[in-house]
Amino acid sequence: MNDDALNSKAPMPARPPTPETPEDAGSRALAEALRSSFVVVKLAMWVLVIVFLCSGFFTVGSQEKAVILRFGRPVGEGEKALLGAGLHWSFPYPIDDVVRIPITEIQNVTSTTGWYFLTPEQELSQNEPPPGQSLNPAVDGYLITADANIVHSRVRLYYRIEDPTRYVFGFVNASNAVRNALDNALLYTAAHFEVDDLLYRDKAGFKDDLQRRVTGLIAQQQLGVAVDHCEVLDSIPPRQLKNAFDQVTTARENRIRVLNDAHTYENQVLYRASALTAAVTNEAAADKARLVESVTADAKRFKDLLPKYELNPALFTQVQLLDTMGSVLTNLQDKIFLPTRADGKSRELRLLFNREPPQPKTGTTPQS
Amino acid sequence: MKRNLMILLGGALLVLLVASMLFVFQVRQSEVAVVTTFNRLTRSVGPGPHFKWPWPVEKVYKIDERIQILQDQFTEDLTGDNFNLLTTAYVGWSITNAIEFFPKFREGSIPAAQRMLEGILRSSKSSVVGRHLLSDFVNPNPQGLKFDAIENEMEQLVQSQLMTNNCGIQISFLGIKRLGLPESVTEAVFRRMTSERNLLSKGLEDQGESEAAKIRSAANRQAAEMLADAQAEATRIRGEGEAAAAKILPTFQQNPQLANFLLRIDSLEQILKDRSTLILDEGTPPFDLFRGSLTNSPAH
Repeated sequence: MNDDALNSKAPMPARPPTPETPEDAGSRALAEALRSSFVVVKLAMWVLVIVFLCSGFFTVGSQEKAVILRFGRPVGEGEKALLGAGLHWSFPYPIDDVVRIPITEIQNVTSTTGWYFLTPEQELSQNEPPPGQSLNPAVDGYLITADANIVHSRVRLYYRIEDPTRYVFGFVNASNAVRNALDNALLYTAAHFEVDDLLYRDKAGFKDDLQRRVTGLIAQQQLGVAVDHCEVLDSIPPRQLKNAFDQVTTARENRIRVLNDAHTYENQVLYRASALTAAVTNEAAADKARLVESVTADAKRFKDLLPKYELNPALFTQVQLLDTMGSVLTNLQDKIFLPTRADGKSRELRLLFNREPPQPKTGTTPQS
Repeated sequence: MKRNLMILLGGALLVLLVASMLFVFQVRQSEVAVVTTFNRLTRSVGPGPHFKWPWPVEKVYKIDERIQILQDQFTEDLTGDNFNLLTTAYVGWSITNAIEFFPKFREGSIPAAQRMLEGILRSSKSSVVGRHLLSDFVNPNPQGLKFDAIENEMEQLVQSQLMTNNCGIQISFLGIKRLGLPESVTEAVFRRMTSERNLLSKGLEDQGESEAAKIRSAANRQAAEMLADAQAEATRIRGEGEAAAAKILPTFQQNPQLANFLLRIDSLEQILKDRSTLILDEGTPPFDLFRGSLTNSPAH
């Protein structure tokens, strides 16, 4: 305003002076200057008013809701107080105050009360210090299982804000309340599970029970959030006892291996036995067939030869015998004929048996 | 004239603004304000704009009515069966009566209230833990576990203490956050756990061995049974064959001499089938042909 006045005064000396009535001209110029500066001020005021009103516009994102507090009290009741995504207008502060509440995005809290002490740097670098002899309750977290064993477990809860007014106006720090509920649920669930169930046998059951407990607590404490899901990040035995627990795992695997070996043996024995049984019965069946066949064949021959025999038994036997001798003698390896001595005494015969050894099977050297 | 009106309006607005800053205060949703007149508590008001006399006549203190969470430190207490047990708990508490609350703590100081609450919590925990056995906290049998009951007892005890203290505070929920054992005890627990693990792994190995042995012997037995069955079956089959052969035998009865002769001829053939040496004399046909015709009688 001062500047305007000075500016409008500045060109005054440049104006051609009017010597007749210098006071009159001066006052007129002053009035002129005042009027023009007043216009500028008025304009500035209007601009200010418009800016003031425009500053009341604000946008709400798709993942949040907003509540307008007029003189500290929410505008509208219950659900109506919540403004959805889009452009909105409120009076500027101090009349109205806009409170934004994240709603659709999933938030999470992690419970580490069941985990041993790690500094954030150690956590990031994966470089954990070796465990001590014992656990100091002041720093190291752990859980006590139903059978009074110590385990470590950390879990994460994913949740959405369901009742924004309750979440924001009911609690100083609702996410802290959610985390405490999760801590309690973890402790409670661990106290219901035996160590082997928690770590190995019933991981899914542990997770389900945990989620059930934390959902119940959240509903009971009316935290205004809805549980999306729970995740068990890790469950381990105390690091001090890693070897002992690994030993059990090895033993469990060994047991399976030993049982598998036994089953392999079982199969082998049974297959071999069934092969052997088949061989035995087949052999018997073959024997049977051979016996019956040979007897039948003999009988047939007997029947065929009987009429011829009956014609002249002596001749028949003679012919048959000679026939057989002929075929037998051709097959013989050595035939030695020993005529009787003239004096009718029997000859003395000396035999030296030096049989040719049986031919070795092919493949081995015929050395020996 | 018009300009004067404008100036007047502007002035009035300015005065109104300054006056509202001096005479009006706002209370937000979830807050309650306590007003003191010359340092004497006079009234409390809820959310909305309110009138007050400017300082130094009246002073406004705002108090958060929302639920706050208090977590305490580990405290070590003796259970009913003389075990040392460490517990931490959390409490959701809120100020429900600002008029009662405000004068109890210096100018409604929240930390002071928390200190008091922590003290109450500690004594409540101690007395409730002392009433219970260790097996009420950890127990493999779900019926023996009294977790909820313990938490309820603590909550009721804290609640009743607050009621008697009459300080305008209420708790909405209470839960145990952590359970712990004294550090030296954890070492003993580790020793016990190690021995339990050893027992378990030994048991698993032995169990595996014995089951495997059972499987093997069962297999052997079954194989032996199968073989015995098969041998019985084979004997039966052979018997059948012999019976069938026996049926044919009467044929040979028609002429036993011939049957005998044929059998002997067959066996002769069988015996001399392969690699045999036979020494013969003139008595054996057909060499009887040589009898008398060969003269290898001695020379003299």
